[in-house]
Amino acid sequence: MVQPRPRSQKSPCPLWFFLPAAVIYGVFFLAPTATSFWYSLTRWDLTTAEFIGLENFRQFFSEPFLVQSLVNTLIYAVMTSGLKTVCGLLLAVLLTGNIFARGFLRTVVFFPVLVSTIGIGITFTVMMHPTKGIINVALGALGIAGPGWLTNPSLALFSVALVDLWKGVGLATLIFIAGLAAISTDYYEAARIDGATRFQQFRRITLPLVRPATITVVTLSLIGGLRSFDLIWAMTRGGPGFSSDVVASVIYKQYQAGFYGLSTAGNVILFALIVAIILPLSLWFNRREVAQ
Amino acid sequence: MRHIRPYVTGGIALLFAAVVFILPFMFILIQAVKSKSEASRLSFSLPQEWLFWQNLIAVFKARDYQLLLAYFNSTLITVASVSILVILSAMVGYIMQRRRTPWNAVAQIALFMGLMMPPAVVPTIGLLQDLGLFKTIHGMVLIQVAYNLSFSTLLYRSFISTIPRDLDEAALIDGAKPWQIFFRVILPLLKPVTVTNIVVQSIAIFNDFTNPLYYLPGKENVTVQLTLYNFQSMYTSQYNLLFMNILLVTIPPLIVFIFFNRQIVAGMTAGAVKG
Amino acid sequence: MTDLALKQIRKAFGALEVIKGIDLDVRSGEFVVFVGPSGCGKSTLLRMIAGLEEATSGTIEIGGDDVTYAEPSKRGIAMVFQSYALYPHMTVAENIGFGLSLARRPKAEIAAKVQAAAETLQLTHLLDRKPKALSGGQRQRVAIGRAIVRDPKVFLFDEPLSNLDASLRAQMRLEIAELHARLKATMIYVTHDQTEAMTMADKIVVLNGGGIEQVGSPMELYRNPATPFVAGFIGSPKMNLYGGAVAERMGCATYGIRPEHIRLSGEAGTWQGRLRHIERLGADAILYLDVPELGEMIVRAEGETPFAPGATLWASPIDGAEHKFSA
Repeated sequence: MVQPRPRSQKSPCPLWFFLPAAVIYGVFFLAPTATSFWYSLTRWDLTTAEFIGLENFRQFFSEPFLVQSLVNTLIYAVMTSGLKTVCGLLLAVLLTGNIFARGFLRTVVFFPVLVSTIGIGITFTVMMHPTKGIINVALGALGIAGPGWLTNPSLALFSVALVDLWKGVGLATLIFIAGLAAISTDYYEAARIDGATRFQQFRRITLPLVRPATITVVTLSLIGGLRSFDLIWAMTRGGPGFSSDVVASVIYKQYQAGFYGLSTAGNVILFALIVAIILPLSLWFNRREVAQ
Repeated sequence: MRHIRPYVTGGIALLFAAVVFILPFMFILIQAVKSKSEASRLSFSLPQEWLFWQNLIAVFKARDYQLLLAYFNSTLITVASVSILVILSAMVGYIMQRRRTPWNAVAQIALFMGLMMPPAVVPTIGLLQDLGLFKTIHGMVLIQVAYNLSFSTLLYRSFISTIPRDLDEAALIDGAKPWQIFFRVILPLLKPVTVTNIVVQSIAIFNDFTNPLYYLPGKENVTVQLTLYNFQSMYTSQYNLLFMNILLVTIPPLIVFIFFNRQIVAGMTAGAVKG
Repeated sequence: MTDLALKQIRKAFGALEVIKGIDLDVRSGEFVVFVGPSGCGKSTLLRMIAGLEEATSGTIEIGGDDVTYAEPSKRGIAMVFQSYALYPHMTVAENIGFGLSLARRPKAEIAAKVQAAAETLQLTHLLDRKPKALSGGQRQRVAIGRAIVRDPKVFLFDEPLSNLDASLRAQMRLEIAELHARLKATMIYVTHDQTEAMTMADKIVVLNGGGIEQVGSPMELYRNPATPFVAGFIGSPKMNLYGGAVAERMGCATYGIRPEHIRLSGEAGTWQGRLRHIERLGADAILYLDVPELGEMIVRAEGETPFAPGATLWASPIDGAEHKFSA
């Protein structure tokens, strides 16, 4: 006789399946993020922490080079996100059309996404050399005086953004290609019968229906842009001077200088920036979707 | 006239793409095989001497074969991280998909944070030091697992929803215990996603520069990207060797891309387009 | 083989009672069919017997053992799912032998048992194939093979033929019936198809809204339905059921007469009606009459019945074939 043993319904999945991942994730990601809020309010040398209130943040918002980094971060993020979205969509439209060597072109456009950022950074730095770099040499051959891409303070950030675009547009294109493929050709055929031009079809059918992909691209590239470090560090180290510093590079520089509290404050600011931008953006996207 | 339109636009596109996207890679290749003096001219001319092997060996020999050590470390970190990542995130993806528990909401929020939030680096360094994991491969592996868990788990969760629950129940009747159901029924059926995950994560971890920069400074446990970065400051005038290094760093992802093109594309767009 | 006993089985999801106090006894070797409309709880009941759903209260006994809280694999049951639930990444042989390999039986034993099951079901030439290379009927058999190999006390079938097309269904019905005769196993079979129920069951359990309407052999249910629900469920076309004034006159709450128990005449009879529509099926014809006092009446007649739409007809019930229900 089997003794009745009341037990909770066996689901094929025990709760402890969460555990290993939760432990690693909690210890190495969530915990430091949580403690960063505390440490950002201190002057810290990793062993002792002296509470100084909002002093670090006050510094961030008053010292010119720190404020500059905040501004740069926003400019960089918006610029790269906008460019990637627009160029990604245009490239995707081109690469879903009936053109010669389409498969090859898709591969070529996407490959930079997979390559080492440092390698790309170094390569383009060399290519952007004011006198010997092949970009300015080529421009010179056309009679245009090429600027100091990375040596001109007002141009440096922009130049890095262009390289970021070069490297990252392939992913945006890929996502858009998938989004475009999901649009049934029936819509276009119906529009053609209605007499819509190619441009009208793009505006009235493609753009609205590719929205999920657009949202993804904008969101992902904004987050990436706000957090961007590798490329900027490889190409300019935040220079010349501080003209291309962003919050991520400031975090590193302050860390290197031993100002751990300030560095961590930078982390908190970056955290806040992302939340402040992405959350309203997501809500706005979702509300518009509901309204539609 | 319509018939050649694809070829005309295609041709123009090809030309444009070639210049914009292929040229930089050709530049890398050309620079990598030149002599030191030629390379320092930074021009797009064909090399007069083809010094591929010489430069290759010189790069590997630099700083006591540091590049060799770096390749070993990078590979080790990548393989270890990805292996752990796959199992752990498949487990979480499975339970989030199959079992209704309030922890799911908690996990969901936590995972989305991981996709968005920048890790707090200095506190993490402090933590690693306290655990004796700073500047170690073990520490780096755990960091990579933690930082890539979000993407990996969400990938698995959406795929597991395509495995019918009937299979779980049939296995239950057959006498399988939960971990047996997971390893003998579910995990094998996750093969396509696992391949994609492995490929995408491997490339990301191999190319990662920022995290080794913070958590693996020093030359004992140097990684490939760090070596390249250090090389830049070390050999300021040896552009040929610098570019040979870049070439060597670019090759592994290229090989992976050639063989796993389909999986990479699938992985990158997975879950990205929520129609 | 063994008995199955359900005692006051209840299942509630929060405040919603899905299964309401069911008592049932199944004798060893019986083929019992749970039948009923969608949502009546038949699948839930089956899953509770299997152990995939927990009973809110009540007991389940298999072969005398109380298995109410036992794990599915320890109840002595085997189940054939509607979707077959074959493991896509395993071969037929591995699918059938999976339970045995989990129990760490020696390889020789597993191979022997798999072979035996495969022979019973004519699957021996398919042992190395994967499910996706099999036809619907073959997959069915593999699912059954997996169940056989468990040597269960009770076989459970959850609408196994729903995914097959009509001709295959007829064939598989036969195979399952023959299997039952051969193994003499206790089988519980869930379906919404009354043809399957009537042709395969020793005993039919008609479920409605979480409760048992009636239990009996197919012909018992046909001849003596206890309630209008059962009467309308068994038999095709459905029994004509009338309430209201007509029923009152007959001295009951609902009056019923089966289409096949009505005789038609062009001259005289109990009820007069107008023939609205006639469906000729070859051997039979189904006639739809509009009868003023009753409403619509469906009559089954011989295939060559000479009446045409618009005709005025008289319908008379066969003696003793009328049903009077008190609800």
